[in-house]
Amino acid sequence: MDRRKFLKTSGAAGAVAGGVGLGFFGYEAGRDPDSYTGWKNREGGFQTFNRIKWAVEKPTYTKTGPSRRVDARTEVVFSRMGPLFRNWKEEEGTNSLPEYLRKFYETNPEVLELDLRVKNELFPKLRKDREKYGHKFILAEAWSDAMGAVWPKHSQEPPEIADFPEKKGQKQLKMRSPEKTSKLIKKIAHQLGSTLVGITKLNPDWVYSHPMRRRGIDTDKPFKVPEHWKYAIVVGVPMSWDPMFANPNYGTSHDAYAISRIIAVRLSTFIKQLGYAARPHTPGTEYDLMVPPILVDAGIGEQGRHSIVVTPELGSNFRPAIITTNIPLKPDKPIDFGVQDFCKTCKVCAEQCPSGSITKGNKVEIRGYKRYQFNAASCHNFWYSKLGNMGCRVCISVCPYTRKANWVHKAALDITAHDPTGLADKALTAMQKIFYPGPDPQEYFIPSLGGKNASYRKPPWWLKTEDFIDI
Amino acid sequence: MTFFTSGFFWFIQGILITVIILAFQVWMEDKGVKMIWWKWFLWGLWILVAGFTIAFIFTSLGEGEPTAAVKGGIIFSLITITSGVGIWRLINKKK
Repeated sequence: MDRRKFLKTSGAAGAVAGGVGLGFFGYEAGRDPDSYTGWKNREGGFQTFNRIKWAVEKPTYTKTGPSRRVDARTEVVFSRMGPLFRNWKEEEGTNSLPEYLRKFYETNPEVLELDLRVKNELFPKLRKDREKYGHKFILAEAWSDAMGAVWPKHSQEPPEIADFPEKKGQKQLKMRSPEKTSKLIKKIAHQLGSTLVGITKLNPDWVYSHPMRRRGIDTDKPFKVPEHWKYAIVVGVPMSWDPMFANPNYGTSHDAYAISRIIAVRLSTFIKQLGYAARPHTPGTEYDLMVPPILVDAGIGEQGRHSIVVTPELGSNFRPAIITTNIPLKPDKPIDFGVQDFCKTCKVCAEQCPSGSITKGNKVEIRGYKRYQFNAASCHNFWYSKLGNMGCRVCISVCPYTRKANWVHKAALDITAHDPTGLADKALTAMQKIFYPGPDPQEYFIPSLGGKNASYRKPPWWLKTEDFIDI
Repeated sequence: MTFFTSGFFWFIQGILITVIILAFQVWMEDKGVKMIWWKWFLWGLWILVAGFTIAFIFTSLGEGEPTAAVKGGIIFSLITITSGVGIWRLINKKK
């Protein structure tokens, strides 16, 4: 064989080997555990998005008029369900309810109808279907309960007592500078296991006018924002990726909730040891404030059509906790990486939402801010219209930003963030719908409600009950 | 991290692509076709498209998205083949 022929043969062999190699690379990149962002180590290596490049002076929401703080007793669905079910008497109607709840339901009768539907229609159907089909989700529920088993006790004292160091006479240590303290706090948060960390000055608009119960605050009186709530630190982690894609039934909020909760309590303890006030606001229901806008202010991400904050690294798969504090900090800036434009055209979450709770329309004014309308009551109805773990989370799973960190999805994120024309948004939305379709939303329901107990993606092997347990 | 997602894999890919470039040049010389800059540019572009198609299909399979692998495979393969035919016709012109 002459030299030229040898070279040509080598080239042909090289082309085959290179192509096969790319195939193996792709397969490995797709299944690589390293692409499960947030589950590798505690060194903060996941905050990979260059937030400084996309920093903006003003957050990507718009203030349109006088603001009104949220009354958590009525406007947070978890707070009103307990008092409703405990007090409701059919013959007396809304007169059987505490006054604040009666007033709320009388001005929002459609919400009362949806809330009562849970008790009157959905619970009985769910019980019946659980007997017939519930065994399928035994491992998923066991996994969820296991993750939720550790729940730090939260204080029953008011913020003036609970937020401050317990040691008597403890002085505030003199920190060298807010910049250095912010750097330290972020490092500690990462060491405690937080995937993302952000800091902002606390906007009082986000604090509940009447907080949730059992937080040491008199919820019957309007709540004055404590002066020591100067800053808000955001911490949090993603839910396990494979179960999360198998929502609404195999995924669980508890896995990330539990971790974020522990991080927030630990970080509060760290700050208190330095002599400053700190109060954890943790999932699922131990908050005195609204979380999403604080994430936006802290540059963690942007609020999407589904009302959940979309982060560059984790998409919507981020379960945060907040720490309010008075330790002097340097706030981060909000970011704008194109989510508002993308959500305008995408609408995948609205199309896949089983309860139709996410609007397909434009933003409207809510409590003095322009945002997408979201029906929390109908969303909560769906929680009792399916089996498996509590909650739904389908909007998180289907969001095009919620993707593993491999080269395909990182490239897509870069393209949307850099494209000012909107063409990339349209192209990538079309690709999302063609390449990553979900079932018909009706299939997510239990069979008694005309569904098939479907999930967005198949569960991971370790949550398939039928493979491990004889039923 | 495995061999295929390591830096060493890309080092090997670099060697392979160098051999492919040299072989392609010899092959075209033997065919009497002169390779000029824009022909190399188009050829390089096509290699990227073809490589993207292969990697996309297998990445989708790896992350458990067979629908994306099949539909993406069909769409991107069609683009690869069509552009390949067009680019080959441009490159293969002897004048």
